[in-house]
Parts: sequence; structure tokens; C-alpha cells
Amino acid sequence: MNWGITMTDDMTRLDDMLAAARHARRDVPDDLVGRILADADRIQANRIAVPRGEERQKEPGLWQQLLIGFGGWPGVGGMVAAGVTGVWIGVFPPENLPDPSDLVFQTSGDSEFLNYYGLVDVLGEEG
Amino acid sequence: MKDLASKGSKDRGSPPAAAPVTEEALLRLYANGDPEAARELVGLLGPRAYSVALRVLGNRAEAEDVMQEAMLRLWRIAPEWQSGQAKVSTWLYRVVMNLCLDLRRRRQALALDGIPEPEDGSPAAMDRMLDVARVDALQEALMTLPVRQRQAVVLRHIEELSNPEIAGIMEIGVEAVESLTARGKRTLAAVLAGRKDELGYHDDG
Repeated sequence: MNWGITMTDDMTRLDDMLAAARHARRDVPDDLVGRILADADRIQANRIAVPRGEERQKEPGLWQQLLIGFGGWPGVGGMVAAGVTGVWIGVFPPENLPDPSDLVFQTSGDSEFLNYYGLVDVLGEEG
Repeated sequence: MKDLASKGSKDRGSPPAAAPVTEEALLRLYANGDPEAARELVGLLGPRAYSVALRVLGNRAEAEDVMQEAMLRLWRIAPEWQSGQAKVSTWLYRVVMNLCLDLRRRRQALALDGIPEPEDGSPAAMDRMLDVARVDALQEALMTLPVRQRQAVVLRHIEELSNPEIAGIMEIGVEAVESLTARGKRTLAAVLAGRKDELGYHDDG
């Protein structure tokens, strides 16, 4: 068919033009090569100045030092547990322990004790 | 290193006395601080990557930006390059293609500016003039293609890469590559058919 012949001719012409384009390949412009090599040198120099994996060890910060001082996370965990237990005992004391609020705000205990024993008696008990 | 690398890049056609220095070996040398390796790599990879960028973008300044950015990424990735993974050239083509797509998306509104003007100059021979006109006409026709078709046609028919390699570069299947190149060529042929007289082609041969 005529259309088929025309299409074949068009394709042949296109192949011809593509071949011309292959031969017309452009070199990289010199100034672009210069910029590319400047990038390469800069990155290479930075890498040599700070070798990979050998970055200077940073000093541990305050929290890091505290963590180390408490024996790491297990130590901190034990400390938190002890603190929570202390608060719990303070708020809901067992029956055989004196109420902490009475110990803090005691009004009568000490005075009765001191009234019963005179200061001289207390100091002179050992002797 | 320089002698070895030069031998690798320049005498690749002749039977080598020693194994040629590959792109990957040069990249490793660069990562290890060799001061000459970068220049060798640019000489080895640059012209083809730049030509592809120029063909796909149709604009010299944009192609230069893409080329510089692609090479910058190569310098950065050099220490992590895994031996035996994709060829360095394939990796670079892929980066160039993706940067071209990114650039095109960002500048879609200015797409009409992408067609380069034919270069000035006065070539002596008529054949040379026709060659230049044909290459420029081809570039204009390429710019009428959707960008993925254009990439596939450039990689297949100007860079002469294999379909599987193009599939790896464009991250699509081989059948999709075949489809893109076939459709692209048909469109190009149709566009250029209307200009055959002006380009010095005549039906009588």
C-alpha cells in the first residue's frame, strides 16, 4: 500500500536523522567540567578531613553523665520505683507505722516526753 | 593511577594487556582519595550523560544544571557504592532522567522555552548544513513527545542502550520501554514527514 511505503520511507529518514544525532554528540563544556571537578574536590577534601567512622567522640552531656552516674537505665528505674513506693507509704501508711503527718506536725508527743523526763534526767541516764 | 586509568578509558577497543579500569574501580579510587579519579570519571561518563540531558531537556543551561547535580550525587554516594550493584553509568543515567523529570515538572509552565535555537555559524559544506538542520529538526520533533517517550527514544535510538538497561534506568518493564519507543518513533516520523523537503529529503531518492 502506498501508505505503508510512505511510512517506511519516513521511518528510514528518521533512522537517518537519529544516526546523525549519534554522531553529533556534544562534549561536556569545559566550564561545566570545571564546576563538576570543583564539587568532586570539595567533597573529597571534606571526607579526608573527617574520615568516615572516625568522627571525634563528643563529650557526654549533663543528662548523659547523670545517667551513667546512676548506673544506666536499670539504676534510674530502681530509683523511680523507690520514689513511688515512698510516696505511696507517705500517703497510705501501713497500720503499724506512725502517720507521717503526725510526725511532721506533732504537737503533744515531744512535749509529754520532755515533761515526763526532765532534761537533766535524760542527759544523766548514762551516767 | 593516572596511567592505568588512561589506559582503561582510552584503549578499551584494543585487547588489553591488563584489566581495564572500570567505572566502579574509578569511583572506588575517588572515594579513597585519589585526586585524578574524578577527572577520569567525568571523561568516561560525562559526554553521554550530558548528551542525554541535552536531548531530553532541549536546553543547554538546564542540561548543565542537571549534569552537575547528577555528578554531585555520584561524588556523595561514592563511599557507599556497593560492588556488584547497577553499573555506575546506569545509575547516572537514572539520576539524570529523574532530575530531568523533576525539572520539567517545576518548569512546565515554561516548556515552550525549552526548544534551543539552531546554533549560529557558517559551515562550509552543504552536507554539514543539512546535518545540522536535521539534528535541530530532530530535536524540535523530540520536544513534541511526552517526556517519558522522549527519554525512551533518546536512550534507545541515540544512546543505543539495550531495552533491559533502559528498563532499569527508567524503572519500568521492558515491554513498557518497547511500547514507549515504538510510539515515540511513530510520532517523530509523522512530525518530520512534514519537513522532508526543507531537510533535503526527496521522494525520488
